[in-house]
Amino acid sequence: MTAEKRALLLVGSPRGIGHSTSDRLGSIVLDALKSRDVDTEKLHVHAAMDSPTALESALAAIGAADTVILSLPLYVDSFPAPVIAFLERIVQQRIGAGRARVFVIIQCGFPEKEQNATALAIAERFAAEAGWSWLGGVGLGAAEWQHKDVALALAPLAEAIANGTAVPQPVLRRAMPAWLYRFGGNVMWRLAARKHHATRSLRARPYDS
Amino acid sequence: MDALVLDGSRGAECRDALAALHRALAEAGYTTEVIPLRERTIAPCRGCFGCWVKTAGECVIDDEGRQVARAIARCDLLVYLTPVTFGGVSFELKKVLDRMIPNISPFFARVRGETHHQRRYRKTPRVIGLGILSQPDREAERVFKTLVERNGLNLRTPCTAAAVVTPESDLGATASALVKAVA
Ligand SMILES: Cc1cc2nc3c(=O)[nH]c(=O)nc-3n(C[C@H](O)[C@H](O)[C@H](O)COP(=O)(O)O)c2cc1C
Repeated sequence: MTAEKRALLLVGSPRGIGHSTSDRLGSIVLDALKSRDVDTEKLHVHAAMDSPTALESALAAIGAADTVILSLPLYVDSFPAPVIAFLERIVQQRIGAGRARVFVIIQCGFPEKEQNATALAIAERFAAEAGWSWLGGVGLGAAEWQHKDVALALAPLAEAIANGTAVPQPVLRRAMPAWLYRFGGNVMWRLAARKHHATRSLRARPYDS
Repeated sequence: MDALVLDGSRGAECRDALAALHRALAEAGYTTEVIPLRERTIAPCRGCFGCWVKTAGECVIDDEGRQVARAIARCDLLVYLTPVTFGGVSFELKKVLDRMIPNISPFFARVRGETHHQRRYRKTPRVIGLGILSQPDREAERVFKTLVERNGLNLRTPCTAAAVVTPESDLGATASALVKAVA
């Protein structure tokens, strides 16, 4: 009997599966693994933290996987809070210890991918404490605005992930120059405010004493 | 001067450090408020950006997270007190930090050559990070200090100071040094 390979994508964005950049990027890698005959499954971390039964089945799914892909948005230089709580449970219960391998994708709003460095270091500390082997991590900037390039860069990483070897850094150019991002982004916030019928000026200071 | 201590502990693991901070802050003339976050019902951020484009400056979730964000906007010194978790902050503290983005502006700025956000308020608090570790861990300490410094850039604070303590550390001296560093 040949042991089947199982990969699990953990989506660590509150926007969840089908609605987040984290899901879109993680799915590029997951789909590439699927086409290499790896069994794949997806889980939303925030949904798992919503109830004890959801958490239990999520932890069981991780226990059954040999490869975990954690894909999340950068939140204040780190992980969204529920992801921290979830990873702490994995460590406490020794889920996948000495067996699971992890690859991490962190993407941030700002165009500079280097801004993910602290969060990638946190992810690597988690892997060490969980006893998971670290396949590597990739940080992306302004990935919300990059589609084709990112897909072309991430999909080939599946080979190393499937083989359980260190994943090379993908070659990716910046989504756009930082000045253009800042200029376009400022325009975009104003348009979004109009669309949402903002109740106040975007520069309001409701907590001024 | 008002100091706000966000206590991100799950139990009593930060108790002695909190007492040392209290003393150091009082000596430096601060009036201190401590928020034990584990006792507060604060939902996680939904990532909707409503706090920037709908109800600017306020989270769309109406719970105690709003009161904490208000207290953060008004204090002079913000203190993170937290068990170091994978080199970062605890879930309890992070649930509040994620809900703090209403306090900054959506509009972008260039800070030290990187993209960040403009300030929303004229004044932003100075930030101290005090992390608790059960045993020395160089790498966790390095990551924690970097995280506090990087948060300072995003919050556009005038200055930050961070330290990590273990059961062997001199808590009084560390707390005083931190408070002095942001004076
Ligand atoms: C609470 C919060 C904090 C954030 N913090 C950062 C940050 O520190 N740096 C950054 O570049 N982007 C930050 N972002 C932006 C997100 O990382 C970015 O929008 C990301 O693409 C969202 O991915 P998702 O669709 O998977 O949720 C933050 C967003 C939110 C809602």
